[in-house]
Amino acid sequence: MTMTLLTDEVPTVDADRVRELVEYYYENDWTDGLPVVPVTETLLEEFLAATDRAPDDVLFTISHLNRSMTVRLAAINAAMAGCRADYFPTVIAAWEAIAKEPHPARGIWQSTTGTAPMLVVNGPVRERIGLNGRGNVFGSGFRANATIGRAIRLGCINVFGLHPHKLDQATQGTPAKFSACIAENEEQSPWEPLHVEHGFAPGDDVVTAFVIRSVVHIEARHTQEPEQLARDLIDTIARTGALIHEYTSALLVLTPEHAQVFAQAGWSKDDLRTYVFENARRTRAELAAVGKDALSHKTRWRLPSTHPDSMPDTASASDEPDAVASLHNPSSVQIMVAGADNAGVSAVVEIFTLNPPREIPFSQSRIGGER
Amino acid sequence: MAPQEALLDPTGMSAGADDGTLAARPVSLRGLRVGLLDNTKPNATMLLEEIAAILQRDHAAGEATLYTKDYFGTPLSEPLRERIAAENDIVITAVGDCGSCSAATVADGIMFERAGVPTVSITSDSFFMSGRAMASVQGFPGFEFTAVAHPMASLTETEVRERAAAVMPEVLRILGVEEG
Repeated sequence: MTMTLLTDEVPTVDADRVRELVEYYYENDWTDGLPVVPVTETLLEEFLAATDRAPDDVLFTISHLNRSMTVRLAAINAAMAGCRADYFPTVIAAWEAIAKEPHPARGIWQSTTGTAPMLVVNGPVRERIGLNGRGNVFGSGFRANATIGRAIRLGCINVFGLHPHKLDQATQGTPAKFSACIAENEEQSPWEPLHVEHGFAPGDDVVTAFVIRSVVHIEARHTQEPEQLARDLIDTIARTGALIHEYTSALLVLTPEHAQVFAQAGWSKDDLRTYVFENARRTRAELAAVGKDALSHKTRWRLPSTHPDSMPDTASASDEPDAVASLHNPSSVQIMVAGADNAGVSAVVEIFTLNPPREIPFSQSRIGGER
Repeated sequence: MAPQEALLDPTGMSAGADDGTLAARPVSLRGLRVGLLDNTKPNATMLLEEIAAILQRDHAAGEATLYTKDYFGTPLSEPLRERIAAENDIVITAVGDCGSCSAATVADGIMFERAGVPTVSITSDSFFMSGRAMASVQGFPGFEFTAVAHPMASLTETEVRERAAAVMPEVLRILGVEEG
């Protein structure tokens, strides 16, 4: 066997110059802590050519910061994040979906609460740009997932000035603040996908934006009983540590195996939602034990009924004052399928909403314009 | 060799040319109407009323009026801002003791300064950097504000009075008051 030397095919670089460029971005505080791709007009033009939108079009404004995300700035930050130009329409739709969410414009990403945007992508675009919705869906290793999510974070840092320890005062934050973008595993779902459920055509490419706090894994390889599995999910949805206000919201990211447990028992998404809504409750005593059995008058955050600023929660005046619902509506729970078809491991994504929660705790935008 | 190209600024900040000029300072507070903007955070009302009482007692300030914001996390509404600016000669805003509310408290102050009303915004010292960053993003990096010691929400009435007394030299300095 002979060896062929590939010397001629290996690119050569000016190593000092490369290092200088990488350091330039760090010196300007234009990164999330990881190296970024240097961007010049030539690269920017490729991104702008991938969309019909004008460079000065505004995608999202945070009015109290006096700052706006234009198509041009979104493109520079997407290129810096490592996106390919053909990902850019998805990034634009992501900013538009985020702009429809009420909390980002109201300053949630400055908050000690420490939330992050999470994007879900549906439609044929997943295949075109290689978005992962199958194994390791919340993990690393897929350029489209990693860089589309990162494009949003770099935009938050650079355009909106959301630097940690400065304007971003998150007490702890979440790993999702680097990047959180997943595709739905539509092909292995027994139900219609998230975008179709909400009125889009199966062939539409859609970005759904959530404001999330955390992703919690549900380990349940032991059962074929839908009620058992649903109660395992409910235990995490209704945990007291997730409660800020009166109610909470969640996105269930079901692995195909778990989705099949429900589907084979004849449960629709709505059946699962209704079961979760009706059973996601804590006793009054459990809430009192953690000091969350009442609400603050002004902020309506949960606090102990012994606190001078407290008022009773809604359940206190109901027929069942000792069974406190964690959810306000069945639609406070959304359901999608993602992950490998190799085990019973799902996730509860904890969604940040204010009290009272919106009926639908997310916003959607079609890639390439309105439907 | 390929032509050299400049790296692009990803912030868009260089495009901004905002007003960063402080309102004219009053020199004396005698008879001036004091607007107090409560952002609804616990103990904000008490802190503001105590500061107003000191301004009236020691500096002959005029009538003090308390206003309350709808939501602590964002700047006050435009109608309320216009009303406070019309009804007062100086404004105190408090208290920024969280990430979004400290930035909003500083943004309120900047809006009053741009409307020509000298203003003191008060955060807690844990969030001074948040306020500083807000001033920078707003295109007003020289905006001056001050901080009380963190925490505020859990203090007793006596402790709130101590915080107010401690912050007075900064309040007077920011207002440009020259009398003792």
